[in-house]
Amino acid sequence: MHVANSCADAGRSGSEVFTLPHDRRGDDPGRYDVTMDPTVELIDLLGASRVHTHPVDRIIYAKDSGVTAGDPAVIVLPDTTEEVAAVVRIASRAGIPIVARGAGTGLAGGAVPAPGSIVIVLTRLNAIEEVDEIGRTAWVGPGVVNLDLSRALADRGLHFAPDPASQQSSTIGGNVGTNAGGPHCLAEGTTAAHILGVEMVTADGDVVIVGGEAPDEPGYDLRGLIVGSEGTLGIVTRVLVRLIQNPPDVVTMLLVFENIHQAAQTVSDIVATGLVPAALEMMDQPMIVAVENFMHAGLPTDAGAVLIAEVVGHPAGTVVEAALIEEIGRRNDAREIRTAADDDERALLWKGRKNAFGSIAQSAPDYYLSDTVVPRTRFVDVLDEIYAIAERDGLRLMNVFHAGDGNFHPLVTFDASEPGMSEKVINAAHDMVHAAVAAGGTLSGEHGIGLEKRDLMHLVFTPEDLDAQARIRDAFDPEGSLNPGKILPAGARLTEERDA
Amino acid sequence: MTTLRTSTLRLFERLRDERADDDGRFVVAPASLDEAAALMTVAASEGLAVAFLGGGTHSNIGNPVTADLVVTTSNMASIIDWQPDDLTVVVGAGMTVDDLEATLAERRQTAVLPETAPGATIGGVIATGVSGYRRLRYGPTRDRVLRVEMATGYGKAITGGSLVVKSSTGYGVQRLVTGSLGSLGLIGTVALKLWSRPISTATVPVTDAAGALATAYRPLAVLETEDGARCYLGGTEEEVASQTAELASDGSAGLSWPEPIGEPIRLSVRVPPHDVGETVALIREMDPTRWIAQHGVGIVTVGFERLETDLFGDLRSWAVSRRGSTVVLDGAELIGDGVDPWGHAPAAIEIQRRIKVSFDPASICNPGILPGGL
Repeated sequence: MHVANSCADAGRSGSEVFTLPHDRRGDDPGRYDVTMDPTVELIDLLGASRVHTHPVDRIIYAKDSGVTAGDPAVIVLPDTTEEVAAVVRIASRAGIPIVARGAGTGLAGGAVPAPGSIVIVLTRLNAIEEVDEIGRTAWVGPGVVNLDLSRALADRGLHFAPDPASQQSSTIGGNVGTNAGGPHCLAEGTTAAHILGVEMVTADGDVVIVGGEAPDEPGYDLRGLIVGSEGTLGIVTRVLVRLIQNPPDVVTMLLVFENIHQAAQTVSDIVATGLVPAALEMMDQPMIVAVENFMHAGLPTDAGAVLIAEVVGHPAGTVVEAALIEEIGRRNDAREIRTAADDDERALLWKGRKNAFGSIAQSAPDYYLSDTVVPRTRFVDVLDEIYAIAERDGLRLMNVFHAGDGNFHPLVTFDASEPGMSEKVINAAHDMVHAAVAAGGTLSGEHGIGLEKRDLMHLVFTPEDLDAQARIRDAFDPEGSLNPGKILPAGARLTEERDA
Repeated sequence: MTTLRTSTLRLFERLRDERADDDGRFVVAPASLDEAAALMTVAASEGLAVAFLGGGTHSNIGNPVTADLVVTTSNMASIIDWQPDDLTVVVGAGMTVDDLEATLAERRQTAVLPETAPGATIGGVIATGVSGYRRLRYGPTRDRVLRVEMATGYGKAITGGSLVVKSSTGYGVQRLVTGSLGSLGLIGTVALKLWSRPISTATVPVTDAAGALATAYRPLAVLETEDGARCYLGGTEEEVASQTAELASDGSAGLSWPEPIGEPIRLSVRVPPHDVGETVALIREMDPTRWIAQHGVGIVTVGFERLETDLFGDLRSWAVSRRGSTVVLDGAELIGDGVDPWGHAPAAIEIQRRIKVSFDPASICNPGILPGGL
């Protein structure tokens, strides 16, 4: 969940948020002695222009795209893997926590720095190297912007499949950290399926490469753990991405419905046929209105819901699949089905979808965005519950969904200056998460856990499950210096096990 | 073996696998994850090395393990929850791949598991991390493992992952366990993402495998063997027909996969996909009985009746020089004394060791089976 543009979270100071789990402090209570100052050493390493300690810089880097603010001591902008490793070694010697970040578009607080920490900004590691057109891979820096990668590869007929709505600014490193998704992950899978290897700096400051161009590297799949670990297992300095052939044909359709149930049923019916379109995205009426007022994408503002369906592939296949989707839409009383005539029309449809969150600013000063996922067959039930929760609390709810994946993004707009409103919204959002979990779903489909959902992890995992995850984290980072306080709640490592 | 406590013997007797041959070892078949966890607790306290057995089709992979206790998954061998409309299935680790795929085929679905692995179980496939030929189109098996339930080496039943098709909720325990060869514990159940089977398929002989890979739009597989190269297509009838025409060839309907390699020495050469052609040329000079190259993937599986130690060493050096590996799947002892089936310790060995120790503190789960003595 995410509270944006507001001071809704002002009551939670950085130090409260970052009460470190006792079992992660080790035996040394002075481990996070924030008075130790590594700045001189860092300036020697990087030069003054790439080391920032000014209060304004510390405020800028205190947050990601959520509102919860941390309090870093120093921000560094390394240019190379070796510099990152040297920074990690300096931090390690000084016992200072480290938080890696890219563009800071994360919504779950994963890049919010612990008090007194060193923030390592990886945006300058932005080279695209070693593009292999036969193996369909490339080594890229974590600072490469998602959309820039696919644009750079366009003339080779390749693209990087994960396409989060933030793709114009979010970085590949950030995508790796959160196991990012996006509309086109329906058919292609989320980021984990598109990362073949990483070069990373370990908590000790060593540089290792795990995974690689050759498949099935013997030993444990550390690559698979790094993806989605939100910078808590190592600092990724280069990424080997898997690239997908650009499809010879794309059909993008807009299906317009009187109500949300017809749209949701269409999604269920499409998935039940076994057809997995490239994307199946849905917006409800309040969201359509917000997007249309902002974007003028030609969406019907009187519609109850719209579905964007896209099929890609060989033209002899797409024509059949598009016809099937149209037939299912008609069966569910779609009042209109439009097919994008060309790339411009297609781009306009997608622009509307991908700018959904940006359009909110026009309708309310604040919004609270959730990200939960349920089994696809429970989608309609949970949707009803989410609407009922909003209605119960008199909240303005709008929805944009990765419907084909069962991934909800309910969004509540509100005015945080109204007394008690923020608490009410957070309470409702928690109830929505509970509804998703009760239907067999989980906390996050693509935004990650970070700080925002850390203390909800017990809803989906037993103490033993969380202990196993804590064991993994400790194996990578025994001292607990990489992005402390994220993902796992306090006390996740069961102490009797550790003492055994 | 040291003398076991009476309570331990009673537990083993109660869970004894009636179907297993008695070869002097305890062979037990827990029927639930809790029973498996109890077994692991007892084994850890008695210091018994434990091996896990599914179909036994991968039992020669890795460093040899001398086990005191064999845990089979034969009592956890059924479909637990199949949601065809969700394209997900939860299955007991002991179910065979063929049985699962046959059931899924009734609704025209597939878990995209290895196509030619008679007798192999789901648990075995996940533990070895092996993928089928269709990985070129659908990605490796590990990308479809949504959730695992397992009994750890420290005797706890845990769940990793979630039964939804996308999740960014905590660490990818299910990805760690896939390919861990039973060194962290016993896999009890697996949740898999499913795909629809294509309406139409074809096997198309081609003269140039690399060319076919460049021409075809997302074929299921491009394989080359001693009998030539084939491109495997799937999709609508019109799509398969058009793609076949574009490959300037005549295909036959259906997917005819090569017979599995059954030679006494079996190697898996793993190189970057762009090095497959050169690897094939190298392997041909070694005069193997059988070989299957997966173009676009980077795996060449090779079968020999016999293989000189030096030639094997050259092949391994070649793969390593390409940042790959040559893994001995069967018959390391036939290649030469002390041949390491893996070749070298994995990267980040310290982290790898700490993972092993934290999931298997008593070092009882297939001890030493992985590279680097993990």
